[in-house]
Amino acid sequence: MVAVSFNNVWKDYGDGAIAVKELNMDIKDGEFVSLLGPSGCGKSTSLRMLAGLEHISSGEIVFGDKAVNKLPPKDRDIAMVFENYALYPHKTIFDNIANPLRQAKVPQDEIARRVNDAAKLLEIEHLLERRPQELSGGQKQRTAIGRAIVRQPQVFLFDEPIAHLDAKLRARMRGELKHLQHKLGVTTIYVTHDQLEALTMSDRIAVMNDGVLQQFATPQEVYENPANSWVATFVGEPMMSLMEMQLVGVNGETALIYGENTIALDPASAARLNQFGKKELLVGVRPDKASVSLEKSSSSIQGEVYSRQLLGADVLVEVEIGGSRVRAKADTSFSGNDGEPCHLSLNSEDLYFFDAGDGVAIPRQ
Amino acid sequence: MASREIISYDTGFFVKALKWISPIFLTFFLVWSLLPLFIMFVSSLKDLLDAFSVPAPGDWAGATVFFDFSPTFAHYVALFTENGFGTYLFNSLVASIGSAMIAVTLGSMCAYSLSRSEFRGKKDLLFWIISTRMAPIVAVIVPLYAIFRSVDLVGTLPGLILAFTTFNLPFAIWMLKGFFDGVPYAIEEAAQVDGQNRFQAFLTILPLVAPGLGAFVILCILFAWNDFLFATIIGSGGAKTLPAATRELVQPQNIDWGKIMAAGVVTTAPMIPLGLLVRRYLVAGLTMGAVKE
Repeated sequence: MVAVSFNNVWKDYGDGAIAVKELNMDIKDGEFVSLLGPSGCGKSTSLRMLAGLEHISSGEIVFGDKAVNKLPPKDRDIAMVFENYALYPHKTIFDNIANPLRQAKVPQDEIARRVNDAAKLLEIEHLLERRPQELSGGQKQRTAIGRAIVRQPQVFLFDEPIAHLDAKLRARMRGELKHLQHKLGVTTIYVTHDQLEALTMSDRIAVMNDGVLQQFATPQEVYENPANSWVATFVGEPMMSLMEMQLVGVNGETALIYGENTIALDPASAARLNQFGKKELLVGVRPDKASVSLEKSSSSIQGEVYSRQLLGADVLVEVEIGGSRVRAKADTSFSGNDGEPCHLSLNSEDLYFFDAGDGVAIPRQ
Repeated sequence: MASREIISYDTGFFVKALKWISPIFLTFFLVWSLLPLFIMFVSSLKDLLDAFSVPAPGDWAGATVFFDFSPTFAHYVALFTENGFGTYLFNSLVASIGSAMIAVTLGSMCAYSLSRSEFRGKKDLLFWIISTRMAPIVAVIVPLYAIFRSVDLVGTLPGLILAFTTFNLPFAIWMLKGFFDGVPYAIEEAAQVDGQNRFQAFLTILPLVAPGLGAFVILCILFAWNDFLFATIIGSGGAKTLPAATRELVQPQNIDWGKIMAAGVVTTAPMIPLGLLVRRYLVAGLTMGAVKE
């Protein structure tokens, strides 16, 4: 239970591949932080540097007020859950969970008590005499978590622990992990490529791409105020659509030009965009804020249906407008077939604006 | 799991012919490999006269003469009382087990580091290690003898153990490296996070390569046990092993067939169960690598 800081951390593999670039992050004591990003973005490398399984090329990782750069994993007082569980195949579940306590020279009766407590919490008490290969994926994963929570480490590290479980079990484990972390109050760093896991479980999310930290903020902030167009499209399901638009002034009114269409702006957005001053913009809209219809309305844009995917309660419609595609959620009664003309309505208050050059967000008030 | 059925369709002539040829071939192979052992065993129980009684050519009914003898253990008794085979048996055991133990200890550590670390020239190093086994032993035996002579190792058990280790160790490194490659590195990482240092983590995964270690120990014992060249040249005198001692039963004026056959049985018998064991270990070892977690 300690605060963790990354100070200017770089990871350079030496062959021109830089996995992590200038990472700065302050994680508070007891906080649940997710490292989110696509594969190869440096999130696992960051976690492994934190664990001491990889060297830090430059910079400092600090636990509380102590730099841990030179400490081997065993002296960092951390507990880690691996993507492939990494259980000891030749040991029983009891011995797997007991291993960290044995290393710490905890007395036998204390070990038995604590392993049983952890097993009870994870509902695997009846499996303690078995070996890993006799267990299902979910049970193995619980064993791996048991091995982590059986002692009170300074930091929990999770490396995609539930990525290999089936969807139903994954949903359940999300809730349980979150609950467990709250109960134990241990600072937790959780690596995932699944934005849903990050959004549902974390106190704060660190979004990474290509070795660079893109945004470090609360899930709500990341969702509502993405730092740039990359974060905006990575977080949120179905994905946000991006359109290239030009800002114009017509008769003293500010509006957006999208192909041959003009989109009127509300006064607040207009003021914000005018203040920003650039003409070329990337405009994003989340599918649930765009509406599509076969009927034309006063402010709608015309396009044609590209595809139609049933999501269950509603339908995701991809609308092709001037070469790019915009996703919109519609009621299941929407009957447009592929190639049919349709009309897309956007509300300027629900739009996200980014600089077309570097993708940086134009902040909302 | 997919079905393990081996499918074959009786189409071409060749496939059909193979169906008839293979049992015939296997029968020949069985006779070819078992008959010498059988003759050796039976002859070791015969006295000299019985051993050389053979039927006239073409007299198939006379073949019973092979089995018409009164068994005697005289050759075995003589081997141990007159020829000192007790000492040679002891030498063989110490030299082969000793070299196997040294090779497995050094070999597993070396194989582990070669499996886990990456460095420039690793492939060349591995090739160099195995290349020491490429030259025939005869080619190096003279310089090796000179070296052993100069450090007074000729004719001693430590010298023989060292000599056997020279050919067992490269083999150990190559074979065990394969087994270590099959163990996921994450298990050691988990051990390190659990509070173990690198060496303790190595010891933690050692049981996972146990089938490999077992198979390898047995193979090393077999190699050393059966070795003749090192045993006669490096071990001659004070550290004579069974094969070398058996060779000495062939005297210019007298070849003592009964004793030679008995010595053959004494040499072969302990290795047969080991041969069966190695087969089981190797199978266990090979499948373990295939079912990664």
